[in-house]
Amino acid sequence: MRKKLNRLDFEFKADEAKDFPADFVHYGVVGSGDMEIIIEKKPLDGAIRVTVLTPVSGFDEVWRRVLYRFVKETHIGNASIEINDCNATPVVGSLRLRQALAEIS
Amino acid sequence: MSGKWNMLQSQSFLECNGRQRAFGLLDEGTLTELAGPRDRLSSPHLPVLGEAIQFDDGIVTGVGLIGKKPVFIASQEGRFVGGAVGEVSGAKIVNVVRLAREAFDRMVSARADLPEEKRPAVVISFDTGGVRLHEANAGLLAHSELMDQFQDCKGKVPIVSLIGGRVGCFGGMGFVAAAADVVIMSQNGRLGLTGPEVIEEEMGKDEFDASDRALVYRTTGGKHRYIMGDCNLLVADSIKAFRTALIEVLALPYGRMDGFRRIGSLEKVRYQLKLVDLCVKLAPKDSRDVWKYAGNENPTAVTDMSLETFLSTVRRLQVE
Repeated sequence: MRKKLNRLDFEFKADEAKDFPADFVHYGVVGSGDMEIIIEKKPLDGAIRVTVLTPVSGFDEVWRRVLYRFVKETHIGNASIEINDCNATPVVGSLRLRQALAEIS
Repeated sequence: MSGKWNMLQSQSFLECNGRQRAFGLLDEGTLTELAGPRDRLSSPHLPVLGEAIQFDDGIVTGVGLIGKKPVFIASQEGRFVGGAVGEVSGAKIVNVVRLAREAFDRMVSARADLPEEKRPAVVISFDTGGVRLHEANAGLLAHSELMDQFQDCKGKVPIVSLIGGRVGCFGGMGFVAAAADVVIMSQNGRLGLTGPEVIEEEMGKDEFDASDRALVYRTTGGKHRYIMGDCNLLVADSIKAFRTALIEVLALPYGRMDGFRRIGSLEKVRYQLKLVDLCVKLAPKDSRDVWKYAGNENPTAVTDMSLETFLSTVRRLQVE
């Protein structure tokens, strides 16, 4: 089977979503077992749109849960999240998302 | 922001990522990234092969200031595909050097007596294994284009190589780094052509045992390179130490750069040939043999010396 880079798309909406407080934030390095994130302000009617590029197949549901939890707990809205992943575990994923958010505060 | 920059200064150059290095080496708050992550110039080749991509293709390029001097900087990210040079990352590094030279030409044609302290310089932080094999032709082309740019900078823009990352500087990029005017390394930095693993793969474990860290470091590491004259300045492993050395070097008049160079004149080539001649005569089995020849009576002690002791007592190789 031909190996390809998978693209996963998600959209979430948190309760009482607040507008993402910065125009643009970039965090992380695509090292082995790691990932990088861009969060950018976008008018999405309060939603968060996420795109993940990952070489790993079959973990779509894990990604969905990690991302949904992040959006739900941080109450962010009106932003796009782009992730370049290189085999990061869910724990690393959650940590990097929160670190990206901490970059702006 | 000011807290962040200050905190970076004491951090290990080795541990920092490419972006932190670029940000911390230049004066606080002066770095403007060119073709940064926001531009999303990533590799078009890696996705086809199912490999992860990075928004800046593994290199930070930009311009900032050190004092009054515009400094064009490229800082490789060793953690992304081993810092290897691909089509996009290669083009970014080539163009940052080109921009420095074009800035020089414009500034000097507008004002011929532009003081040296305001003339542009290039700084490249290497953290790379050389060509990215997934896009090797484009990567190799970038190497030669970069060498061309270095040549065009001659007599105009000083180029400083910094090597202190985890990957070191190997492959074709080893050539490129050595072709700069000044090379600054830390003890953790490694500079070479063929990487340890590749030598072992090709020639066998008897020839070179890549798992022997001590052997790898005394053959390619900063101390060895300093003794051999391949590296001009050896500094501690911190952003601040690299920055301090950089400030010192960039404060020198351009005419002094020739004293640092390894290549670039007939005289220099003759000196390099003398080194080759010495190598044949000496037939060293280990870098320690060369250290001893250079005048270090107890070469085994050199490895464990603190940086201060090393710098104050070491004898560097001189060939008559």
